[in-house]
Amino acid sequence: MAGALSDLKIIEVGEMVSAPYCTKMLADMGADVIKIERPGIGDRARTRGPFPKDEPHSEKSGLFLYLNTNKRGITLDIAKPEGMELLDKLVAGADMLIHNVVPPDMDRIGLTYDRMKRVNPDLIMTSVSPFGLSGPYRNWRAEDLTIWCAGGVCVLNGGGPTHADLPPLKTFGQQAGYQAGVHAAVATMGAAFARLNGEAGQHIEVSAQESVASQLEMTFEYWPYMKMIATRLGQKPIQPVETMECKDGYIYLCCIEEHQWRAFVEVMGSPEWADEEIFKDRLARGLNWDVLKVFLEEWVSQQTVLDLYRRAQAKRVPFAPVSTMGDLLGSEHLKARGFFVEIAQPVAGTHKYPGAPLKYHRTPWEIRLPAPTLGQHNAEVFCGKLGLAQARFDELKRKGVI
Amino acid sequence: MAQPPLTGIKIADFTWVWAGPYCTLQLAHLGADVTRIETRTRPCVTRMLPPWPDGKFDSINKSGYFNQYNQGKKSLSLNFKHHEAKEVAWRLIKEADVVVNNFASGVMEKMGFGYEAVRKVKPEIIMISLSGYGDTGPYHEYIAYGPAQVPLSGLSALTGYKDFPPMHAGFSYADPNAGVHGAFAVLTALYHRKKTGQGQYIDMSQWECAMDLLAEGILEYTMNGREPERNGNRDPFMAPHGIFKCQDLPEKVMDMTIDRWVSIVCADDAEWGRLARAIGKPELADDPRFRTLQARKANEDELEAIITEWTTPQYVGDAAQKLQAAGVAAAACADNKYLCDEDPNLTERKYWVELPHLEVGVRRHAGIPWRMSGTPTAVKSAAPCLGQHTDEVLAHLGYSAAEIETLRKKGALD
Repeated sequence: MAGALSDLKIIEVGEMVSAPYCTKMLADMGADVIKIERPGIGDRARTRGPFPKDEPHSEKSGLFLYLNTNKRGITLDIAKPEGMELLDKLVAGADMLIHNVVPPDMDRIGLTYDRMKRVNPDLIMTSVSPFGLSGPYRNWRAEDLTIWCAGGVCVLNGGGPTHADLPPLKTFGQQAGYQAGVHAAVATMGAAFARLNGEAGQHIEVSAQESVASQLEMTFEYWPYMKMIATRLGQKPIQPVETMECKDGYIYLCCIEEHQWRAFVEVMGSPEWADEEIFKDRLARGLNWDVLKVFLEEWVSQQTVLDLYRRAQAKRVPFAPVSTMGDLLGSEHLKARGFFVEIAQPVAGTHKYPGAPLKYHRTPWEIRLPAPTLGQHNAEVFCGKLGLAQARFDELKRKGVI
Repeated sequence: MAQPPLTGIKIADFTWVWAGPYCTLQLAHLGADVTRIETRTRPCVTRMLPPWPDGKFDSINKSGYFNQYNQGKKSLSLNFKHHEAKEVAWRLIKEADVVVNNFASGVMEKMGFGYEAVRKVKPEIIMISLSGYGDTGPYHEYIAYGPAQVPLSGLSALTGYKDFPPMHAGFSYADPNAGVHGAFAVLTALYHRKKTGQGQYIDMSQWECAMDLLAEGILEYTMNGREPERNGNRDPFMAPHGIFKCQDLPEKVMDMTIDRWVSIVCADDAEWGRLARAIGKPELADDPRFRTLQARKANEDELEAIITEWTTPQYVGDAAQKLQAAGVAAAACADNKYLCDEDPNLTERKYWVELPHLEVGVRRHAGIPWRMSGTPTAVKSAAPCLGQHTDEVLAHLGYSAAEIETLRKKGALD
């Protein structure tokens, strides 16, 4: 059956992660997405890899290939007036325009909701930006790291009591981009649902900083509630909630509730030291972590990861392996669920990619198309869909518009 | 004026802790009528966690953790040991458009509210389970706690200082990530239902949702058979790309010195030139040690030491501002105080929500990360006290005042 969103036509002007991840989520559920890239250069994600055999190639970047499945790709320089006019034409026939052109560039090239609304009053336009379209940081330059920091999560990670000198530590990858993208997808689908109920099109703006600042666990509230500052330093209040090394890798020990600790003690064969008063409850174990750690490290270092994981889980203790990429690809659980998907792309070849984040029982998540090569669908879209004459198409190509 | 997008959509919210509540928070933000099914016999974990206004746990309604992620929702208190309480839940489900839970797989079935049972009485229902491992597969009954999902997902193995063991993300990242992906799924299913009348079930694994965030690591392995190396805050294509020491907060907080840091990135050589001038060392722009990306990568320790020398004596807000004025990507590595009191952007954009709460008064909470021009969304109310809306919801479901009183006496509303 057709995807849930197969009637939605989307134009994306996206770079790197935020807007492309948003449209990937929609495309993987059936939406028809046309991605616009800069002629000759393309999306910056094409330069980032990873690349097969470590050979940089604009059609072989893993990040780009992952983020742009199920999209058709065209090249168009919307900074040129003729390019913007073609964008108008594309938008006229679309339901959504989703972009992450940064605000100073929006001003420079005249990409505004007012313009797009005149072209298509029913349009949903979603603008994803680092710090929002208003406010004193509107025009600030940003990279994923600086947004992850500005949103307030990065300060929570790294160092620890023994390495206070080390800086706060970013989480791997382009996490601010992903979070801006998925929050944008939520707001955009909200607007799409409203339109089904008879509402008009509208403009949505999504701030990456705010998307990150929305998910600070309980740490933000420590200031308004208690005038306390959450930090990556200092001791954890309860233990063990910690990574430890086994014979063959790392495991994450996680005893939040008392019954979980008692069950873990049984898994360890109920050693005498576990009865000590200084380990009597989770707070005591937090206070005396220095001592407890020595006992645990010794025992854990003689275990293997999968065996300890299974024995703990059998007693309802939520340990988890510190999965390597190899562990994930080899996981019998993920294999049984069919998580990874193989995607063949003519230039990059066939590789396994992360698959569906959710299993819908009725409407399919599916890969219909691999990510486009740069300008792959130019003729199909400009000549076929927009009806541009061949001569005009060639001329715009020569001028560098397409 | 137009209504928020999900006006009139009713959510029966069986969630707890963080992942599920973050899902229904997004739906509440979009205007849905979200009713949390809670119980006094086992309150949501976050109701019993800090922060609390007076620093002590004297009420299950005062947790800043709970109050952040349950804004704009109602609370119905039910004790399922009484069959009358289950009857109330059934009436609520029959009226609902969406049922959300984040228990381990199979728990809703044990409670009697599994999808098969629900769809018999309400075929068009949309139901989503945000479990740790998903509904199928050999580990589907394994239990997942927020912090353990980060290492399970693979993010920890990729995150860390060079030559150090794997590190965490510093928060239970897989929880909100699952929640917001779940909200997208619900919206997609609502869209489909509006078009076709069909409901459906959505099986979501928090683990899988988190792996969608680390494609670069997974593809390094599937393309080249290699585990990526942990490399701190550095980036192979940009230098500097790091977090640099600034002036400590002048006053100690709870006897602790609060260290502060600024993040700085130069995406290309021109940006590096601007940085060199901004820190008063214009000669470094063309210094052969730093002129090109390749050179800066080769001399990154030295590069970071020079920048650190400039940042260390400065107030973090000034360091970021000066670099931005020069055209360099920089931002404070914000702590919660900085976000709340010192970041002018969030305040000017009216991101914060300050609504009266029955027990904690007016406190600042994080708001909605988007703005909609046509169907404006706003947080409707502060988080509910446990059972705050029990009478209101029961009355709406058709219970008379006398019936409610009887239920209460029996303990069905505990």
